[in-house]
Amino acid sequence: MSTYSIEEAREIIQGYKGPKIRIMEVCGTHTHEIFKHGIRSLLPENIELISGPGCPVCVTQVGFIDEAVMLATDYHVQVCTFGDLIRVPGTEKSLADIRREGADVKMVYSPLDAVALAVQHPEKEVVFLAVGFETTTPVACLAVKHAMAQGVKNFSVLTANKTMPNAYQALKTSADAFLFPGHVNTITGESVCRDLMEKDGVSGVIAGFTAEELLDALATIVVRIQEGKPFFENCYTRVAKPEGNPKAMAVIDEVMEPCDTQWRGLGIIPGSGLKLREKYAAYDARRKFNLPKIEGKPNPACRCGEVLQGKCKPSDCKVFGKGCTPQHPIGACMVSNEGACSAYFQYGRN
Amino acid sequence: MCVGLAAKVVGLKDGMALVDASGAKREISAELIDDLEPGDYVMVHAGIAIAKIDEEEAV
Repeated sequence: MSTYSIEEAREIIQGYKGPKIRIMEVCGTHTHEIFKHGIRSLLPENIELISGPGCPVCVTQVGFIDEAVMLATDYHVQVCTFGDLIRVPGTEKSLADIRREGADVKMVYSPLDAVALAVQHPEKEVVFLAVGFETTTPVACLAVKHAMAQGVKNFSVLTANKTMPNAYQALKTSADAFLFPGHVNTITGESVCRDLMEKDGVSGVIAGFTAEELLDALATIVVRIQEGKPFFENCYTRVAKPEGNPKAMAVIDEVMEPCDTQWRGLGIIPGSGLKLREKYAAYDARRKFNLPKIEGKPNPACRCGEVLQGKCKPSDCKVFGKGCTPQHPIGACMVSNEGACSAYFQYGRN
Repeated sequence: MCVGLAAKVVGLKDGMALVDASGAKREISAELIDDLEPGDYVMVHAGIAIAKIDEEEAV
């Protein structure tokens, strides 16, 4: 249930006269919905929205794409992936490039569909590209569990799963308040955000995805920030319950364990990644195919890394809208329709 | 990527749920939600129900 109606929220936001507020929307789906609903155009100049690193495609390192390309071209596996990843440039090629050249790259809606493909095609090795945050990771873990329970031997996952808590630590000085990603909190519950407020003084609200929910969340930030002390509120209680989804958290913990991982633009954040536990090693594509360690090289002209930290706007990048467009993306933030560059390009430059 | 779709459960079988999202029907995994019944509303993400939603607030 929202605190403010759309009209009330708009009055609060547009009537704000205080010092500048920088709000980071962490989630790529929020970035996209905020643009789609035209919410940026409602904001006065003293409220700035920064698009944070919550688009899994955007923060996935170039080397991960190179690994997937190598699996499809050198190891001749069928690579199954969410559609967003297909056009992300690797060091030399994207998955779309190699698919045009005949490699077996298939888009799936769910990792469970990739397991079904492995069952239907026992002659193929099927590798699912597991990217995403706490929202998406449980179903990838279930896919691995299903494969093991059904004795499916020709299925594995290439993991680049990430978790938010340590990323918040890395970002905590980037904004005055966070719009927390509602569907991550649907899984994790509220405790992560409460801890941030209580231990680190980081303010934020859990936000939903409709125009009404986003305006309510922004208005809540504007009201609470003027109280002058750290705050946390859940503005998405219809879906994100205080306790989250304990079953989903248990599945993650059963199948995966924390590891250090690299975020595009943010570098290595200790303990912010997930990899398969030893019990599930047979389903780890890196181990199964003995992949060499690959250090991908991003295009030096691309400023996605700074965009992801809110240090520059997409339009500040020299190649934005020129060399880098949604049709011919140079950086990941232009590929995913949740990326800040793509949203700026699609919905206006400011 | 964290996009979700609210849908109504219209059938349940073997850990799977048949859901109706504005007329489009799809089979999804219901393994992560306890005590799901036909008529309940769920938030669906990547082929799986991630939360039960209060009915009066579902749509």
